Amino acid sequence: MPYTKEEKAEIWLDSFRFDYAKKAQIYKTAPDAYSLVEHFEKYRPKIAAAAGEDSCRKMEESLRSADYMHALLQTYTQKRIRCVCFSSELYPEELRQLPDPPLVLYCRGNAELLRERKFAIVGSRRTQPQILRLSVECSRALRAHFVIVTGLADGGDSAAAAGALESGKLISVLAYGFDHVYPECNRGLLEKIEEKGLAVTEYLPCEAPRGYLFPARNRIIAGLAEGVLVVSGGEKSGTRITADHAYSYGKDVFAFPYAPGVESGAGCNAIIKEYAKLTDNLVDIASAFGINLTATEEIELTQAELAVYNIIKEGETHVARILELTGLKAHELPAILTLLEMKNLIVSCGGNRYAAIK
Amino acid sequence: MLSKVISFALSGLDGLPVEVETDINNGLPSYELVGLPDAAVKESRERVRSALKNSGRKFPAQKITVNLAPADIKKEGSYFDLAIAVGILKATEQLVGADCAGIVFLGELALDGALRPVAGILPLLISAKARGYKSFILPAGNANEAAYIGGVEIFAARTLTEVVDHLSGLARMAPLQTAQYGGAGAQKYKADLAFVKGQAVARRALEVAVSGGHNILLVGPPGTGKTMLARCIPTIMPDMTFEEALEVTKIHSVAGILNEEGIVSLRPFRTPHHTATTVSLCGGGNRTVKPGEISLAHNGVLFLDEMPEYHRSALEALRQPLEDGCITVTRSGGAVTFPANFILCASMNPCPCGNYGSADKVCTCTPAAIHKYRSRISGPLLDRIDIQVEVDSVKYDDLVSKQEEESSACVKARVERAREVQRRRFEGTDIRTNADMSERELRDFCALSPECEKILRLSFERLKLSARARSRIVKVARTVADLEGAERICPAHILEAVSYRSYDNFG
Repeated sequence: MPYTKEEKAEIWLDSFRFDYAKKAQIYKTAPDAYSLVEHFEKYRPKIAAAAGEDSCRKMEESLRSADYMHALLQTYTQKRIRCVCFSSELYPEELRQLPDPPLVLYCRGNAELLRERKFAIVGSRRTQPQILRLSVECSRALRAHFVIVTGLADGGDSAAAAGALESGKLISVLAYGFDHVYPECNRGLLEKIEEKGLAVTEYLPCEAPRGYLFPARNRIIAGLAEGVLVVSGGEKSGTRITADHAYSYGKDVFAFPYAPGVESGAGCNAIIKEYAKLTDNLVDIASAFGINLTATEEIELTQAELAVYNIIKEGETHVARILELTGLKAHELPAILTLLEMKNLIVSCGGNRYAAIK
Repeated sequence: MLSKVISFALSGLDGLPVEVETDINNGLPSYELVGLPDAAVKESRERVRSALKNSGRKFPAQKITVNLAPADIKKEGSYFDLAIAVGILKATEQLVGADCAGIVFLGELALDGALRPVAGILPLLISAKARGYKSFILPAGNANEAAYIGGVEIFAARTLTEVVDHLSGLARMAPLQTAQYGGAGAQKYKADLAFVKGQAVARRALEVAVSGGHNILLVGPPGTGKTMLARCIPTIMPDMTFEEALEVTKIHSVAGILNEEGIVSLRPFRTPHHTATTVSLCGGGNRTVKPGEISLAHNGVLFLDEMPEYHRSALEALRQPLEDGCITVTRSGGAVTFPANFILCASMNPCPCGNYGSADKVCTCTPAAIHKYRSRISGPLLDRIDIQVEVDSVKYDDLVSKQEEESSACVKARVERAREVQRRRFEGTDIRTNADMSERELRDFCALSPECEKILRLSFERLKLSARARSRIVKVARTVADLEGAERICPAHILEAVSYRSYDNFG
């Protein structure tokens, strides 16, 4: 895909690995990136002031060399990276509205997804199993209307990704360059996302994952999406940052409520107190966007299944308790539990305990 | 003068006849032992000399040459002491008129002339019997073990003097009475399911595992009774038949860990420590190959406590024996095949801190840490473990409750019924349990109705099971059906089998 002159200029500017503030300052010296390149001499003093003399000389040299841009673009092509620049037609309008929009979005996968309606689902790494399952379900239901935006962390993010991955309607925003994967155990997941959905980052491929990059990444998640569902998060977690960003951008923020004392949900409860909409089913989200979710299928249960389901609905229940209350035999129960699990009514929370998710 | 006496050498689980030739010549007193003896065999000279002297016989001050034929096979151990002593006595004409032809001599000598028991008597006797040897003289300490071999004449002697008197006809010993195998008899396992409180799911999983010979993984926080459950596995396995007991005894005899009873009638339960090396698990040794833990667990249970802590190489080495039921150990001394047909029972914590899924304690592990911990057990190995079950913390009330849980004997009765069904099904093949089934048997005996197929497909989609788990699930479902006495596999059986794959769909 050929880039326009303006796009090339932005890619060129982004390739110098300035931090965001410097980059913005340089960018603002000229009316647009192309004129910055064309009339570099004219802006040179201002650029030198912003970036420092060394960097400025480096930029100058790169402009003189004929190969620099060619080599840069070739590397990106080799790495299957497509650059969506601020001036690109594909660049999401929502991001342009941000106070600190990324200059270039490096994309791997189906970049056309950026055009569609987007909804973010984020969760912390420590998320209860039943919430994970619930997140998968939410993601699966919403993918019919939205492209799901999320990160790549374990736990909540992975669950959201898992729900939307099959349909390919998934954008995963990374906080590092494409030469890296974090966490390592999600390497396979990232490969699948690049193949079916879209992975996006504002960082050069060589940028390694670092703690301080993640909060900045979260603003992109919040900025891209029309709304954010926070499935879990502690008082000071990254999901809280995403939610705060989304709120400050005027987006709808939804959060699952938690019981007091559940650490992995304290952040959710805190944002519900402040601005988020308490959400315990998808209808809450759907109605906010005027979407009609397809009616849930009627699930038929036998008497024994219903009895077990009703007990589990009371709260997280241990297998021994279910056996005691229903009088079922130990060999009858596993089959029933598996069936209920398959019908997406309950999930295993580990330790032979089960919780209802519907 | 020259004499020839027969003894036996051990090679793996087989015995080889060794002819002990003794020649006495005039010349400077010397003692030459040839025929590739190892240190223990070479040292026999001192034992034989003192034993002869202290039994009132003479050790000739002449040039003695002892040859262990065939001369090109390495000889190990102290089996040959007795044969060498008898050979010297014959060669020096201290045993006039005694006929040693066809008698196999086995045993180690003490300096005072007493006979000490040696390891590996049972496999030696079995292969000697198969080669047509009918008469044996061996240490009294090995009598219990040897008594199970019928159809041969066995004399168990306490001292060299007894042997000499017997051979020269002064005081004949009475042949050993053949012992009848009486099953486990009075021997009891220490563990019993009656003492395991709660754990309904795990108990059921054990029952299914043992019924079908499936390997089982117990996942649970520390202190939840995983080891106790594992110890109960042998107690619900059917009693060993004589053939099975003999197989086990042979291996234990070679390893030299046989107890007083002489035959192993209880199913072995082996718990190698997690520092175990590949060789200690699989078998090996410098020249003669000794059986490893997996062979010692033959017909019983191999329990790997805290499985992720084992060396990766040691765990991976289990894969082939788990599939084949035997292991071939190759050393410079030759290749030896040991049987290794066991139920693998492994236990592990759900996560590094151990509290994942715990009701009252908070797990402090990140998903990445849990993932890493669990990935220490490789997929191929996990694939060979048909049943994975969670064991959870027991409540105090359960522990003190007076309510009697079902005892091992009750469960065992059901297991035996299910095994009987399988025995009839696999009659005429070398398959013993459902777990051993290959694709062919799966097709023949585990046909799924369209309804079952649908449920299985659905469970794969919904529960994100790996495709490799399919045949495992069908096998377990077959076992569940057998436990129920059902001819065909029903959806409920499939669902129960699927519930034992919970570990697969983590994360």
